[in-house]
Amino acid sequence: MSKKTLPFESVSRRDLLKLGVGAGVVGPLALTAGAAKAVNTNAHIVIVGAGAGGTAMANRLSRSLNGARITVIDAREKHHYQPGWTLVASGAWDKSKAISDTADWMPRSVNWVKGMVAEFDPDNNRVVLNNGQAVDYDYLIVASGLQLRYERIEGMDTRLIGQGKGIGSVYASIDAAAATNDEINRWVASGRGTGLFTLAPTAIKCAGAPLKMTFTTLSKLEATGRRDQFNVEFMTPSGGLFSQPQVHAFVRQRFTDQGVKRNDFYTLKAIDADAKKATFAVRDSEDVTRDYDFIHVVPPMTAPQALLDSPLRFQEGPFVDWMEVNRETLQNERYPNVWGIGDVMGMALNKTAASVKMQAGVLEQNILAHLQGRPLPAKHNGYTSCPLITGIGKAMLVEFGWADNMAMIPSFSFIDPMAESWTVWVMKDRMLRPAYYAMLEGKI
Amino acid sequence: MTLSGVLTVVWYSVVPWLWLLALMTIIFLVPQVIARMKGYRFTSTGGLGSKVLPPVVAVLALFLVPMHTTSSISYVNTWVDWMNLIGASVGLGIYAWLVFHPVCYLRNKKA
Ligand SMILES: Cc1cc2nc3c(=O)[nH]c(=O)nc-3n(C[C@H](O)[C@H](O)[C@H](O)COP(=O)(O)OP(=O)(O)OC[C@H]3O[C@@H](n4cnc5c(N)ncnc54)[C@H](O)[C@@H]3O)c2cc1C
Repeated sequence: MSKKTLPFESVSRRDLLKLGVGAGVVGPLALTAGAAKAVNTNAHIVIVGAGAGGTAMANRLSRSLNGARITVIDAREKHHYQPGWTLVASGAWDKSKAISDTADWMPRSVNWVKGMVAEFDPDNNRVVLNNGQAVDYDYLIVASGLQLRYERIEGMDTRLIGQGKGIGSVYASIDAAAATNDEINRWVASGRGTGLFTLAPTAIKCAGAPLKMTFTTLSKLEATGRRDQFNVEFMTPSGGLFSQPQVHAFVRQRFTDQGVKRNDFYTLKAIDADAKKATFAVRDSEDVTRDYDFIHVVPPMTAPQALLDSPLRFQEGPFVDWMEVNRETLQNERYPNVWGIGDVMGMALNKTAASVKMQAGVLEQNILAHLQGRPLPAKHNGYTSCPLITGIGKAMLVEFGWADNMAMIPSFSFIDPMAESWTVWVMKDRMLRPAYYAMLEGKI
Repeated sequence: MTLSGVLTVVWYSVVPWLWLLALMTIIFLVPQVIARMKGYRFTSTGGLGSKVLPPVVAVLALFLVPMHTTSSISYVNTWVDWMNLIGASVGLGIYAWLVFHPVCYLRNKKA
């Protein structure tokens, strides 16, 4: 099922610019975009994290600020297009399609420090790296993403993924996504057995990914012609399948139609990999231990430890495991020179690259206004999006925000967000990676 | 979205397929140029091939285009899906005509 990459499919930005025509299209645009609104400043802006949010902000600010010093801190040399991981884990993509070099997306004017922040010290406007180096800042943008907490599941280790013990997890890494595909294929080829698909008891990035993994696996099971030999179950810690109510209802119905048994209020607590047994904490009941032939593990997630150990985390309330920001302005109100973007922030929904795309525009406008002593003009509306893959070859373009009980806010009026569609699948497969790369460049 | 943004997305989407676009352009241009040097016009008489093959290509495309995207025609569901698929199939049919029509003209001339 795994697709080989075509000659140009894993093209990098550097490759694009090498092509004369690429330079013809991208080059002049790069020079003109943002030049009109450039703001003069000699501030030192430090961006922690060179993932989706950090890179987008580095590109935007390096164009819209004149004279600023911008430092990006991140040790990761490879940039991962994480929305592609579900396609890798379902065998539709080769993993090379989701990897590029971090350096390719980094603006030349930026100082890239290859290290990890071990300590946030906002009282002294400083971060300290894991090698002890201190970096002072005037403005700090935290874009460090989130931390996967597999260690909170007893017996779980990411090294178990894809090792023939029936364990898969799309979240752990690109290699784990590919290994998850192998593990699913092994289970499907075995011709029978029980597959358990879990959700985490915390906020998670791309909340649709566990559903996508279930649906793409169902496609494979149905293609065997012996679906009745397989038992598929979905375990939810909260009873919810998806935060958006219409999508929740849709998935619930589809699970019924496709013979997926739901176990609500089940939280994965422990795994015995050798015995292929998973133990779940069940609300208002005894723990339950279940045998499985395949299990898809979704780990609990929090902000990275360095942030949790700092005054930048929420001090109370539902988001204590995340960075404190005003969810509309993206500013930390206790430390007004500190801002957030992406998965690290504590707010409902919004742990998607689609949200990052929206937040980047808001953050850029607000930082420029703050530098000029103006009131913050832009407000994030909670926009998030999930191309919900409902089978290998079809998907729904679900886009919504905080307003009106998470009402849909479709980008394309002609695409029904609740209809399964081949066009949306093609968009997910072919168009969203280019759109993501344009976002990294700060173009959208 | 700014024009710069739209162009960047379109450019990144097209790049993986530049080799195919180049190949298709060559396959289109070679018979066109050769036939035109021998008096061919779009209004010239073609042949059975140029009548039968383009519709066959268009009909086959209805099945092959979704397959090429790791999908299947059974997932073509909404009116937007059908418009896109029919548009792509008709486009490929027209492309096939543009290739086969001059080829048939040259064969007729030879015969
Ligand atoms: C399986 C999967 C499927 C997904 N599907 C979709 C989808 O379909 N659509 C969608 O919109 N989104 C999807 N996402 C979510 C999307 O990828 C993330 O929301 C997005 O990447 C978040 O951007 P970010 O900048 O906050 O974090 P990231 O892109 O994760 O980047 C964080 C960066 O911070 C660095 N970092 C971490 N700690 C430190 C530190 N202490 N010091 C310095 N640097 C640090 C990391 O090395 C990393 O480079 C998916 C994610 C996954 C895993």
